[in-house]
Amino acid sequence: MNLETLPEIVGSFSGDHAVLATPSTVLSVDRLLEEAAALRRGFMVTAKSRIALKGLPAWALLTALVAFDGKVEAMLLLPASLDEATIDQLLVAAGCTHFMNAEGVCALQDARNGDASPDVAATQWLLATSGTTGTPKLIAHTLASITRSVKRDSVKGADFIWGLLYDPSRFAGLQVVLQALLSGSLLIASDSREFDSQLEALVRHGVNALSATPSLWRKMLMDKRVMACPLRQITLGGEIADQQILDALCRSFPTARIAHIYASTEAGTVFSVHDRRVGFPAAWLQGENFPIPLRIGDDGHLFIKPPRLPDGLEIARRLDVEGYLDTEDMVRVEGDRVLFSGRASGTINVGGNKVIPELVEQHLRRVDGVLDVRVSGKKNCITGQLVAAEIIARSGVDAVVLRKEIMSYCKAHLEEWQIPGVISFMDELKESAAGKRERVQR
Amino acid sequence: MTMKEKIITIIQEMATEYGWTIISDYTDDTVLLESGLDSLGFAILVARLEEELQYDPFSMMDEPVYPKTLREFVAIYERYAS
Repeated sequence: MNLETLPEIVGSFSGDHAVLATPSTVLSVDRLLEEAAALRRGFMVTAKSRIALKGLPAWALLTALVAFDGKVEAMLLLPASLDEATIDQLLVAAGCTHFMNAEGVCALQDARNGDASPDVAATQWLLATSGTTGTPKLIAHTLASITRSVKRDSVKGADFIWGLLYDPSRFAGLQVVLQALLSGSLLIASDSREFDSQLEALVRHGVNALSATPSLWRKMLMDKRVMACPLRQITLGGEIADQQILDALCRSFPTARIAHIYASTEAGTVFSVHDRRVGFPAAWLQGENFPIPLRIGDDGHLFIKPPRLPDGLEIARRLDVEGYLDTEDMVRVEGDRVLFSGRASGTINVGGNKVIPELVEQHLRRVDGVLDVRVSGKKNCITGQLVAAEIIARSGVDAVVLRKEIMSYCKAHLEEWQIPGVISFMDELKESAAGKRERVQR
Repeated sequence: MTMKEKIITIIQEMATEYGWTIISDYTDDTVLLESGLDSLGFAILVARLEEELQYDPFSMMDEPVYPKTLREFVAIYERYAS
């Protein structure tokens, strides 16, 4: 088993090697190790500490990861966008003893307990799933499991400058941070989460490797500033990549290596596809040159068998008798390809933001004048999907007035990506044979 | 009403409905993503136009095009009008 720690890996690079650049700071290996040591001293951690890291910018998160990997029992990574109630829930579920955010550190409970041994076997890296089924679930990784597919060729790595567009506390962002770090590439991160300043930082530093969702790539191609980046590595993930965006990227960056990756917080990076075509080769199902064992279940779900999976109930409940994990992603075979149809749970993906149709329905039903509603995903060329609502109005209610009521309710209660982009008024809504509301994408 | 007028009218209606802050004057050279529409707004606009016009040119294209200005956007809708 690989028990290498993050500070050991970082320490193997030369001290003046630049790890991370933001508009306000450049972090070298020496400075990163110094700041990590200072943070560890200030924190008074023990091998029993369980530390929550909430919404930290890339440089602070990197410092904390280097400070604590191998020194504490667990680190819980909390994305900036989580709400307070979910955070409280996750802090309890993870049994956290300390909490760190951009303002500083505090102890959550008596943290002096526990043995004083300075090193632990392998620190748990606890990540929250993006909450497809509503409440984020904790997935316990280790440095070894989370870097399973990270390349560590520092000769090649020296030529790459990676840009960070994701929240580094989420799986996709962490992959970018660790890929750059472990292969000795410089990572460029903006101090802000604003698209404009992120893009400005990418262009200014001549980023040549970039990972983003298909939605974000479409936005960047519309904006066109990204064309100034000499991109050699283009990665798409987080959503289904369609042929149009792959073609558009091929044309805009003809010499770049383009990969769309299939990954999840639970399973890590499962595989990446480099042939510039949607889906993946159906031959992989027959075991020809397959990256890992794959099969399609009777229910159309994709089942996978990665060499290493995190522990825990959330994973265990989704394993079949042969140890294959149900990804809960629906796939279909078309010709020589396996194509992704969407999440089995019917979650709508609006530009990378997951929307639970049932939740929006519950909200819309609270609007006076709405008798019934069905929310589903509508295919969209820009954001992949949009929320579409079919409404049955109470008799005698004027549709124009009701539409305004619905919009003002939505603006007050929903995130902008949860607000229906299409509202239509219907006479009746159909149910499936099982008596369930049909929520097929239109 | 020309296609351009129709599209501008719909953008203005939607801005009121969704509470977007958009520029007051759309011209041919207006860069759509700088006019107060973000990519979600842009997505909703395409969906609304599909309702109004009964077609979505972006789903009909063999070669994907990502329009930057209003002129380019209108031209795409005119090209696919039956």
